[in-house]
Amino acid sequence: MSLESLAEEVKKVLGGFAKEVAWRKGYLEVLVETANVVEAAEKLKSIGLDHVKSVTAVDYPKESKIRVTYHASSYSREDLMGVIVGLSVDLPRDNPEMPSLISVWDGSVEFQEREVYEFFGVSFKGHPDLRPLLLIQELAEKKVLRKDFIVKEESIYEGVPFKYD
Amino acid sequence: MAGEPIDKVYVGNINVSARRARDLLLGKLKLGEVVDWATTFSLWPVHLLTSCCGAEFAATWSPRFDAEQYGALPWISPRQTNFIIIEGTITRKMACALRITYEQMPLPKFVIAMGACALDGGLFYNSYNIVKPWEVVPIDVYIPGCPPPPEGLARAILQIRKSIREKKLASKWLIEGWRPDKKYVTPKDDVCKWWRP
Repeated sequence: MSLESLAEEVKKVLGGFAKEVAWRKGYLEVLVETANVVEAAEKLKSIGLDHVKSVTAVDYPKESKIRVTYHASSYSREDLMGVIVGLSVDLPRDNPEMPSLISVWDGSVEFQEREVYEFFGVSFKGHPDLRPLLLIQELAEKKVLRKDFIVKEESIYEGVPFKYD
Repeated sequence: MAGEPIDKVYVGNINVSARRARDLLLGKLKLGEVVDWATTFSLWPVHLLTSCCGAEFAATWSPRFDAEQYGALPWISPRQTNFIIIEGTITRKMACALRITYEQMPLPKFVIAMGACALDGGLFYNSYNIVKPWEVVPIDVYIPGCPPPPEGLARAILQIRKSIREKKLASKWLIEGWRPDKKYVTPKDDVCKWWRP
């Protein structure tokens, strides 16, 4: 299946939920509202995107938002197996909260949402077991993969502090 | 002996007997040297592979380098081993597992820290999620390198054998209850508070 026909199918099945459908370097990205994300995920699952390859987040401190992306793909439909569809949600940075998609893609999002929770502080409502996966509790409270968590850097010259651009 | 109750045992003064036995074993028979000699030829490392130095660990016991010729056999259970080789990075959650494994091993026990990450952090020197292994367990031999070659690990095993024979590490620890270089090792005691389930 080409990306054009996939984009048409996704637009048709999502209806008015999709705020933005774009191709970003070989995969299809769909942006939806936070209130509609569960229905949008169910509609994507109904066309055969039956699992999630990864759940990730990007921190935009200047725009004060965190974009959570679910990369969905398929094991059941042969023409969708080589395709990845990203379902994205924009959340406010000071209190990021969204409904958990564990009711839609149950097994494959369970530990990945825990990972986004511990690294970015995004809380997923409805997740049955939301606790840190890889980090200890004290580090998970610091939200270590956000841009304002700065790790200590060693500079090239001694005594000259390292500067970020 | 006929007619006497069988639950009576005549030992005399038990302290005198114990002192005589200790003098005989340690003085005349030189049991400590036997213990040191036996420990050098039975350093069994436990499988605790945390990072990429484990590949070099596997190569060291492969037929080409054959570290089993030094009497070191990688074994599964910490209850039947006396040797840990820390292969690389120790994260904060793994530090608790390392400390539990170390506490489970019988005396005398020895630790090798392998690779740059185990020395001072290495590639992950500024990471928020690693610990230095010398904060967790007392370490006898360090091997630099990223990763160290199998010859380096074999040489570290030879070095630890040499120091056991020369400093009498095993016999003093086991028979007399102290270790000659114990004052230089100060591991933290609260490692497992870092990980609360």
